[in-house]
Amino acid sequence: MTGTVQRHASQGVVWRADNEADLREGIEAAFDYRGDVTLLLKDGTRVEGYLFDRRPRPSLEESLVRLIPAGRTEKLVFRYADIAGIEFSGRDMAAGRRWQDWVRRYAEKKAAGETGIRLDPERLD
Amino acid sequence: MAIPISQMWTVAAYVLKQKLKGRRRYPLVLMLEPLFRCNLACAGCGKIQYPVHILKQNMPPEECFRAVDECGAPIVSIPGGEPLLHPQIHEIVDGLIARKKYIYLCTNALLLKEKLHLFRPSKYLTFSVHLDGQKEHHDFSVCREGGYEIAVEAIREAVRRGFRVTTNTTLFDGADPKSVRAFFDEMMDLGVEGMMLSPGYAYEKAPNQELWLQRERTKKLFRLILSNRKKRWVFNLSPLFMEFLMGLRELSCTPWGMPTYNLFGWQRPCYVQQDGYAESFRELLEETEWERYGPESGNPKCANCMMHSGFEATAVNHTFSGWRGFLDTIRATFSLYPDAQAAEDLERMQPAPHPWELVQIGAGPREKTS
Ligand code: SF4
Repeated sequence: MTGTVQRHASQGVVWRADNEADLREGIEAAFDYRGDVTLLLKDGTRVEGYLFDRRPRPSLEESLVRLIPAGRTEKLVFRYADIAGIEFSGRDMAAGRRWQDWVRRYAEKKAAGETGIRLDPERLD
Repeated sequence: MAIPISQMWTVAAYVLKQKLKGRRRYPLVLMLEPLFRCNLACAGCGKIQYPVHILKQNMPPEECFRAVDECGAPIVSIPGGEPLLHPQIHEIVDGLIARKKYIYLCTNALLLKEKLHLFRPSKYLTFSVHLDGQKEHHDFSVCREGGYEIAVEAIREAVRRGFRVTTNTTLFDGADPKSVRAFFDEMMDLGVEGMMLSPGYAYEKAPNQELWLQRERTKKLFRLILSNRKKRWVFNLSPLFMEFLMGLRELSCTPWGMPTYNLFGWQRPCYVQQDGYAESFRELLEETEWERYGPESGNPKCANCMMHSGFEATAVNHTFSGWRGFLDTIRATFSLYPDAQAAEDLERMQPAPHPWELVQIGAGPREKTS
């Protein structure tokens, strides 16, 4: 999509900034996103990782985002001014896990006489 | 067993020192999160929704010590994630004990029994076991059957081996006050040192967005639970914070009172709300726009919050703000809060098995989702 305010982006969305307001909104959406994003830089570079911080300032040159690339612990810093767009490339880890689903599943399993009913955490391997 | 005198003295001396130095903002408890990984996937938790490469990270002990030294708070709480999954958690604890910090290691206790050998009993170390009520309620709340029994068995073993143990309970909308009171009895029978309580927070990223307590309902719930107290119940909370939960006192939020340090840095503004990260504690204190937070700020994310991480430090600060605060605290410490109306309301309530169909306090009937 192009230049649309997309505060709660979902996986697969590719967002390109048409103007400053769009850029700022897109970065807020990326900050809000609980999955990896790929920064599309103006020099053509792509950087994928978890965007955990943004520091908006009056000018785009002073405004910064911070990101941890996959498999590394270092924190990379980029200027808003260098970002052309953002791809919401990684899975949103907060999506699709609704409380109601747990309640329904629990009730069904209980009614079927199952025991040891549980939700398991994310597999890490 | 109550909180050791040495701990009370350490905290009192620290707060008075901050006041004598004229510090307006000072930390009381550092919330140190050395990892986000957990062995539960509770539907009410907004802390663990991160990409796998973030969940795999463990904060090195040296980084933990740097944060603790930088912050200077006398108490360090170690939540997470599940801290017992951190391969060097015992080194972190040992390093903090060497610094004479009072540590609350927050755990769901699934691994506690098998990891106890890594620790030595110390007045500085308390296991703060997350239990959200009696068996059925806790298991439902953490989305895992059998979790309560494992935790209780671990508490028994830790108490038997001479460790300090407290419980930490988060209450959601629809919690059954009668069951919570029975839970207090069970915990005191187990020999825990004290009990912590907090209403849940509406984490934006938590899968459960429907059962968070609104402020007025929180007060009604806590009034039912905490009025007509039994003498044997021991709470590990500021008595003035408990009055706040019961609606007997207003407090404003002090988010810098319990700052959080985690894999991303110093979390702005508080343990539950993420609005970016500072690189140093000084930067957190000096460059956070604190007026944007707290219920009075109009920030919708703060509107219904009554979390202990925001308001307990305010209560402690009030205790040391003069004779009035000191006398309020003494009175609150010994009061059992007799309340005939609360007793009557409690008596009329019917027990129910799970929050989505529990008694609704101060509201009309709700839709059942089962
Ligand atoms: S009111 Fe709650 S959410 Fe807001 S800053 Fe205070 S502790 Fe954080």
